[in-house]
Amino acid sequence: MSSIVILLSPFWLSWKNDFLRGSQRWRRRWLLLALAIAFWSGIYYVVRRVLLYFQSVYDLGPSLAYQLLLIILLTFLSMLLFSNLITALSNFFLARDLNLLLSTPVSTGSFYYSRVITTILNSSWMVLFFSLPIFAAYGTVFGSGISFYLWVAIVLPLFLIIPASVGVLVTHLLVYCLPAKRIRDILFFIGLFSFMVIYFLFRFAQPERLVQPESFGHFLQFLAAMEAPASPLLPSSWSAEVLAAPLFKRPTDQGFFYALLASYALFLPLVTSWISGAIYLTGWSKAQESKHGRRKVEIVESALDWLTCPFPPVLRALIVKDIKTFLRDSTQWSQLFLLIALIIVYLYNFKVLPLDRSSMPTASLKTVVSFANLALAGFVLSAVAVRFAFPAVSLEGKAFWILQTAPISLRTLLWSKLWLNLIPLLILGELLVFLSNLLLQVPSWMMMLSLATVLLMTFGITAICVGVGALYPKFTFDHAAEIPTSFGGAVCMIVSVAFIGAAVLIEAWPIYFLAMRALNRGRSTVPELWVLAPSLLGVLALTLAAVITPVRLGLKSLEQLKN
Amino acid sequence: MIKLVNLAKHYDGLAAVDSLNLEVQPGEIFGFLGPNGAGKTTTIRVMMGILKPTSGQVFLGGYDVERQPEEAKAISGFIPDRPFIYEKLSGLEFLQFVGKLHRVESVRLARRILELLERFELVRWKDELVESYSHGMKQRLVVCASLIHEPRILIVDEPMVGMDPKGARKLKDLFRSLSDVGTTVFLSTHSIGVAEEVCHRIGIIQRGRLIACGTMADLYAQAQTKQGNLESVFLELTQDNSDDGGQPG
Repeated sequence: MSSIVILLSPFWLSWKNDFLRGSQRWRRRWLLLALAIAFWSGIYYVVRRVLLYFQSVYDLGPSLAYQLLLIILLTFLSMLLFSNLITALSNFFLARDLNLLLSTPVSTGSFYYSRVITTILNSSWMVLFFSLPIFAAYGTVFGSGISFYLWVAIVLPLFLIIPASVGVLVTHLLVYCLPAKRIRDILFFIGLFSFMVIYFLFRFAQPERLVQPESFGHFLQFLAAMEAPASPLLPSSWSAEVLAAPLFKRPTDQGFFYALLASYALFLPLVTSWISGAIYLTGWSKAQESKHGRRKVEIVESALDWLTCPFPPVLRALIVKDIKTFLRDSTQWSQLFLLIALIIVYLYNFKVLPLDRSSMPTASLKTVVSFANLALAGFVLSAVAVRFAFPAVSLEGKAFWILQTAPISLRTLLWSKLWLNLIPLLILGELLVFLSNLLLQVPSWMMMLSLATVLLMTFGITAICVGVGALYPKFTFDHAAEIPTSFGGAVCMIVSVAFIGAAVLIEAWPIYFLAMRALNRGRSTVPELWVLAPSLLGVLALTLAAVITPVRLGLKSLEQLKN
Repeated sequence: MIKLVNLAKHYDGLAAVDSLNLEVQPGEIFGFLGPNGAGKTTTIRVMMGILKPTSGQVFLGGYDVERQPEEAKAISGFIPDRPFIYEKLSGLEFLQFVGKLHRVESVRLARRILELLERFELVRWKDELVESYSHGMKQRLVVCASLIHEPRILIVDEPMVGMDPKGARKLKDLFRSLSDVGTTVFLSTHSIGVAEEVCHRIGIIQRGRLIACGTMADLYAQAQTKQGNLESVFLELTQDNSDDGGQPG
């Protein structure tokens, strides 16, 4: 036990030292705290509103709230699985302190448990943070009292341990079993595995059932389906069953489900520790041997040459370097799996949208949904840009001196990052809006307006992410995926969401006007230029400000590094 | 070729470099010697435009580093003490990248890369990713990168860290051969042996100030000693302040 505490001490000592000694960062901390409280309150408010609305639906309220709880817990479970896989790989096989720790006389058990604890803490804190306001909202809306919160307190730790153990186990087996020539192969499988897990878990939840009561044939059949979990073998369903008892005063087998949850939360780490004891060192050794070698793919090289030929030589050199680094760094490209999952789920939602069942005429509704889609696509683009464009400057890492001492201006560097990220983001944004509008069968003027707006939005979002990335660079990191979770990443997300909000607000009036006109006439007509042009010009002006200001600030900040 | 005029760099009021005046001639190998934390690395980072001076100026080949940074960097090469480079590029790709940053014409660049890889015995490894290189190999690759554009000035920070004796010998030979063709070498080191062996002139910095500068004979005179070696001169000149510690360098 004491050796586990010793092994964990660098983790909490670093945290403590960072907290106590970074006195100059208090302003930043207060800002972060304020943001966290605002975010927390926002989540609480939205979930509470939704639950209150559900409660107003006679008889069906608790069932809908229960289904929502199932979906939320399932989403958490899939996020935890993915995050634990990545964190376990990093903690057990890639961390910089492993050489030091493995050369000390520490027992395999102590090493394993200390790493499992750090894996759980690293990968679960965010889920914990987001889940608390949701549970608070459930507790207050259904007036379930202190007993519900006590159940949450004893269910959540078990709920976090299970995916962490699975993550650690799968990582161990992958590193051990695969003929691993390179770590990236393992990450590829982890990415693929996570993608499939997320996709299938989402499909299991069948959220579209909530809006299709007629598909059940009989109301009682529908009600029964609403009160049962869609996937009873998952820990998220067991947790939901345990929490449903105090929440909805339902006669569930609470003790049985809690025992099920507890037994898995105790059993899985134990089994994983045995397996880790047997195979860890072989896997670790394999991972060490696999750190070299290179596959030269001629077709990629020629494609890069062809794609970058319009750029001037220096800009081209920077772009080619960044693309090659991206393609060869599995910690960066493996995040693309998340992106693919996101696009599929995004488009799938539009496919199952029951527009024909609304009391509003379809033409008006399509205009409104397509417009809402713009905001949603902007939000998705922001999330993706924060992951890929925000770290662009930071990824230069400790090799930044090469660019600092090269005869190129920082402006050239920043623009190379901007162009490099703009092109794929533009393709993604236009594709999302085009395909979802195609599924919605919107009129051609709405399609054109959406495509033009997304074009401008993508320019703004990319510039904000690259600019704020230069404003708050993080040149020292263990893992590329940790850059977007820094303070700068949060600022970047807020600014780009604010930008999208402003752009959407500017276009809201003409869209409202056109939707109302379609509602009155009963059909959609092609709008006159005077209706759309001023707002498009407004968005253009906003985009220009969103491109120029962050790039200037970022440039200034990089210049400040010289001080 | 290199001129530092009243150069100062302060961190939170602490002077890491203070009123530094120095001139290095074309073809000269200048040794910049000092104890740990004396301000050597800070001086070099200011010279290469990585840091801005608090006051004063740096001229490389007549170009003011602060006002004409691109021109000054185009004629300079830099070898840092720790070879942090892009781990996911191959050695060859890294050199191509640096060559392109320096706008070296492609035929000349290919020839130059091959020449340097052969000289530093990296040809066999040119297609391997940098992440698989040993520390010494990375150091040699950085040396290749610093010479890719045939600079007129080479600025080197602690060149022998992590080098094996053969690598160290090659590097010393390189400095001499560069000097023979008129390249100025500014060599920061705390290795007295290296400075003594290759440098034409030596400057000793302590607590951010240049406390002695000149040929070996000049230094003996300043230290008022006629016997021993550079080590004893160094210890003699720096002993007055030895208990004070240094500043972050």
